[in-house]
Amino acid sequence: MGVIVMKVELSWLDRTYVWPVMKGMSITFQHFIKQLFTRTAKRYTIQYPDMKKEMPAGYRGLHELKRFEDGAIKCVACFMCEEACPARCISIQAEEFGDLNITQGFEEKRPAQFKIDMLRCIYCGMCEEACPKDAIWLRNDYEVAAYDRLSMQFGKWDLMNTYAEADGKDRISQDPTPSVPRRTIAM
Amino acid sequence: MDMLASLLHTTPAIAWMALKVVIVFGGVMSLAAVWTWVERRGSAMIQDRIGPNRARLFGRWPILGLAQIAADGIKMFFKEDLVTTDANRRLFWLAPILAFVPALMGFAVIPFGKSFVSGGQTYHLALLDPGNGMGMLYPLAIGGMAVYGVLVAAWSSNNKWSILGGMRASAAMVSYEIGLSLAVISIFMTTGGYDPAEIIASQSHLPWKWNVVPQLPGFIVFFTCMFAETNRLPFDFAEGESEIVAGFNTEFGSMKFSLLALAEYSHLMTASALIATLYFGGWQVPFVKDPPVLLSVASFVLKLVFFAWVFVWIRWTLPRFRYDQLMHLGWKVMLPLSMANLVFHAWRMSQGH
Repeated sequence: MGVIVMKVELSWLDRTYVWPVMKGMSITFQHFIKQLFTRTAKRYTIQYPDMKKEMPAGYRGLHELKRFEDGAIKCVACFMCEEACPARCISIQAEEFGDLNITQGFEEKRPAQFKIDMLRCIYCGMCEEACPKDAIWLRNDYEVAAYDRLSMQFGKWDLMNTYAEADGKDRISQDPTPSVPRRTIAM
Repeated sequence: MDMLASLLHTTPAIAWMALKVVIVFGGVMSLAAVWTWVERRGSAMIQDRIGPNRARLFGRWPILGLAQIAADGIKMFFKEDLVTTDANRRLFWLAPILAFVPALMGFAVIPFGKSFVSGGQTYHLALLDPGNGMGMLYPLAIGGMAVYGVLVAAWSSNNKWSILGGMRASAAMVSYEIGLSLAVISIFMTTGGYDPAEIIASQSHLPWKWNVVPQLPGFIVFFTCMFAETNRLPFDFAEGESEIVAGFNTEFGSMKFSLLALAEYSHLMTASALIATLYFGGWQVPFVKDPPVLLSVASFVLKLVFFAWVFVWIRWTLPRFRYDQLMHLGWKVMLPLSMANLVFHAWRMSQGH
């Protein structure tokens, strides 16, 4: 199998080098002038700490656990995300809760603990796809960093508040309904 | 102005000389330092980037990133000064100086303004007065010495890649020096002298009488050879990231590296001063018959800065040549072209008389 290499025949003018060099210089000069009269903030470069990139829709950044309007968590602790997670970074402990209300449907189970180890998470979005209640989703925050390993263990309240400021919602740290003690089955 | 003139008359010649030395060498050195910034900002703009703009003076005034020069200087100054164990220590210390001094010395003979008469005495705005018998041969000779800086730096590092870089630089310089000299000789010939003052005077104030117009091939040869002389980008064979690490300055750090880098920019300044003097009328102001002294100085500085900018501009436009292309261009194109230029002008002069 042969590859046909197309040879470019240079014209006499091109073979003098001088003319192509001047053409190239005019191109770079146009770029120079264009950049010179463009304000720094308007150039292509995103100056990171001052400017941030608008992430496209569907970007998989930091997770959020969704909540209802009264602050109750949407998650029903079905463990689907924990099963789906290829990095095994989610760990859930379920609990029951009483005082059923209409906004939440007739659920009676929710996570007492919902931990994501952000050091292990690979931001693949499988948890979002697995969730039957659309309770977890990955949003556009990509600045997930901390000074120590322990603060990269995100708990239930961390995850529910990750986008509280961005969305203008209150930070919450308490479920609206109390949990009930585990029912003991009378024998 | 009168006070200035009387001050000038009372100063002894040695003080006038010292003042000129401070102005010329200080000016060239600070311009070279500024050019490190110009290179970075200019290249950034050519490539649609921003370049260094975050360093601030005293952490407050951004001034277009000019504080980067000071920041770099301070950083270089406080870095550990390493010398490799197998290096030739004495030469290793000497090399940056050998590179830096010839780069500056070439400037000494170039007039940076019109000579003026004050109080019955002529003052020349050049470190060496005209008629010193060296003329334009002096910067060429000094320019030839500049290769020692690179070569000694390469040799003393005791490093294979350094030596390869140094050898390539010296080979390039030797092959381009011939074309360069022939181009300059044809200027000497048409001028009838090799003193820079004579060369500038013969070019007069009319831009079409500047040497660049009748000697365009000579100018192209000279300009190209200056790139090889200063080891700048289309011909920067002393360095080569992918082939020979950083070339001749691989082993250099801290202030030694800084000096080597500054030497390159000083060389660039001297080269653009030579181009301005030989081909663009030196301090001559276009269309002004007898310019004021300050205007002539401004004209010279403007030309100098423009050509220094062209050096930067070309560096960020052209890709570098391959080594055989460099040799091909040097021996088979530049040398015949400058020879043809020389012969053509000799023939024209013989017809004219």
